[in-house]
Amino acid sequence: MAFKPMFRGAAAASFAMFALGAVAQVPADPNNPNEALPEKAVYLQYGEPIKLDQAMKAANAALADATKRGWPMCIAVVSPSGDLVYFIKMDDCQYASIAIAQHKAKAAATFRRATVNFERLLGRGPFFSYLATLDGVIASRGGNPIVVNGKIIGAIGVSGGTGSQDDVVSLSGVAAIK
Amino acid sequence: MKTRPMLTLDDCRRMSAAAEAEAKKNNWIVAIAILDDGGHLLHLIRMDGASPFNARTAIAKGKTAAETRRSTLVWEERIKAGRNSMLGMPKITPVQGGLPIVVEGVCVGGIGASGVQSHEDEQIVAAGIKALS
Repeated sequence: MAFKPMFRGAAAASFAMFALGAVAQVPADPNNPNEALPEKAVYLQYGEPIKLDQAMKAANAALADATKRGWPMCIAVVSPSGDLVYFIKMDDCQYASIAIAQHKAKAAATFRRATVNFERLLGRGPFFSYLATLDGVIASRGGNPIVVNGKIIGAIGVSGGTGSQDDVVSLSGVAAIK
Repeated sequence: MKTRPMLTLDDCRRMSAAAEAEAKKNNWIVAIAILDDGGHLLHLIRMDGASPFNARTAIAKGKTAAETRRSTLVWEERIKAGRNSMLGMPKITPVQGGLPIVVEGVCVGGIGASGVQSHEDEQIVAAGIKALS
């Protein structure tokens, strides 16, 4: 039969590629900023996890802002480990945002940075596309850490509008906690 | 076209506050979740000291009650009576502490609590539902 040798040939070719992969290295690209080795680690220290009343205060400030602007949204507040402490879905907010708001909050908490960073870096191009392979990343603004006295105590995630609308409301929530 | 009642954020806040008050009155530390009739999360609180597991369980109980339109205790009792095959029902949490929210004869959602004994969890969510009427 004609297809049999062809199949064998394809299998042999793919084996050769794997075998080569074991020895071949991808050379560093001098234009890749990820090849730089920073001396210091820059990070936020962990504080005492956010209390329910603080979480409600942040979410209610965000809710007030969203209500004032007429934007239906979901608002999630999580502990530094990314676990849900408080959640509200405004009337008429889209269903997708229930999960997205929680995801943004969790990503902001567990990576200890605002999710806008992922969005902007991915937008810079191929050298940052690896970010999308990191566990738990969401490359959309609207998730922000809640920081008190220089320590992260939790995070807030907002979804329902455009990314920029989500982020404004999210930051209103952050601003309510000192 | 048929129209039917649905939960608003304001309804959820009232129910959650009443449920939380019931828990606080008894010095119970729990998570309380409210979901719509499709099992979508509308409102959640995790009281200080309640675990992430409590939050997940409160959601799971409320979701079971909302989607199956019956108390999670009903599921628990059925299985206890020997219907072990009920454990194979898709994504149900057959543990007391979740109640359907019924308005004008229609199930509009579910409410679940987790953190104390199962019958106490149910007492908490029942107090929440009472605040709706």
